[in-house]
Amino acid sequence: MGLLDSEAGKRRLLSVEIPAIEAYNDGRDPDYRIAVARVGGVLVLSYRLKPCQNVYRLETRLLSSFPIVPPETRILTPLKHCPHLLEGQTVCMWRQGSTRASSRWDPSQFTSVFAVLAAWRWLACYEVWHETGEWPLPEAK
Amino acid sequence: MNGNHASVSESTPDSRLQTHPMHVFQVGAGSGGIVVLDLVARDPRVTRVTLVEPDVYAPHNVHRHLFPASAVGGLKADLAAEWLRDRRPDLEVVAVVADLTDAARQEEFARLAAACDVGVCAVDNEPAKYAFDALMRAAGKPWTLGEVLSGGIGGWVHRFVPGGPCYGCVASHLQRTVTEEPTPPPPDYANPGGAVPETTIPAGRASISAVASLHAVATLELLPVRSLESGVRSPKSGTTIQNTITDSAPTPDSGPQTPDSTSILLALARVPGVFEEAFRTYRFRVAKSPGCLVCAAAPLPAGDLDVAVGEALDRLAPQ
Repeated sequence: MGLLDSEAGKRRLLSVEIPAIEAYNDGRDPDYRIAVARVGGVLVLSYRLKPCQNVYRLETRLLSSFPIVPPETRILTPLKHCPHLLEGQTVCMWRQGSTRASSRWDPSQFTSVFAVLAAWRWLACYEVWHETGEWPLPEAK
Repeated sequence: MNGNHASVSESTPDSRLQTHPMHVFQVGAGSGGIVVLDLVARDPRVTRVTLVEPDVYAPHNVHRHLFPASAVGGLKADLAAEWLRDRRPDLEVVAVVADLTDAARQEEFARLAAACDVGVCAVDNEPAKYAFDALMRAAGKPWTLGEVLSGGIGGWVHRFVPGGPCYGCVASHLQRTVTEEPTPPPPDYANPGGAVPETTIPAGRASISAVASLHAVATLELLPVRSLESGVRSPKSGTTIQNTITDSAPTPDSGPQTPDSTSILLALARVPGVFEEAFRTYRFRVAKSPGCLVCAAAPLPAGDLDVAVGEALDRLAPQ
């Protein structure tokens, strides 16, 4: 049951996700706003982030079972192989049962914009790792 | 045990207890769900059951299920309906072979939720739990959920009432995690004897039945109880017990009882670091989260939802 094909999903989209994305975009440089496209039953958020020195292009996909399962975020800009990076440059941001609240996806507390902010945090860690070889955040447990 | 409750359970069906037909809407008839269904449906207050269950009864189900091995290959929904009719010929049973998350059937499920008095959720996947929660909240009906912990070390029973916390509130409070495994393909109804992928809980039948029995009791507690003006006649002693129910139960117009706890955790085994002792219950009263994104009321654009979604996506389309 997805965001686009159920009443509950549409209500979530209209009352939670869309307002959160529009609030994120409000007053932001057009190059860094979130754009949303419908690809089949999936919503794809496309955006750029600049955590420190570099600009990265990203895609966050809200799958049919979102928000119950977390969104998937992929970095389109080529990266060096690094920790917490999965196949297809999908970033590892959520861990089931994590004791760190921000690493445990919670559909009752988080919106898709939280995933964008988590990606920003991940990229900031990547840039530190790129310079120092150390991932600055401890492993989620 | 409360003596009043014991008196009620010993009573035979009493016409005064059946003045209003009770409709139970259950989703899931797996190894736990069938136990809940069997116990709830035997209550004389229950007059109608609607069951939604998509799966086929598979060989690996037999050692944990009520159905016999000879039933392998049949649809669980049909087998459950037959099971109930054998035991309660007077019971109206409607079996719906469907996945609760099937987008094409949401209107039908919403009608079923609106028509029931209480809901029973006996599924083991998060999308279906959230889907049932949404249906029951929209219909304004109470419902219960049972969950067996891995290995059968214990289980949860949750009770939800209109206006109270939703499943999202409870899952967040309990730091419930999501299932990220890929969704298995739906069962092939054209080939009921074929291999059917199914989520399994590695728990023994005894543990499953213990949690499911608690789930059934919690469900029956949510059913409204008729008031007894002059008491209940005990079939065993033949004596009249005055005011056995009215002191502890709602009156006819007061609707479902409000549970004094949202969630009950039953420990069935001692597991260091998890349960310090076996056979203990823990009760949790989880508050409705005012900021819950699942159930908190949020303004919606006026008019048709599909139109509003289309307009919103147009505003956010890539330039």
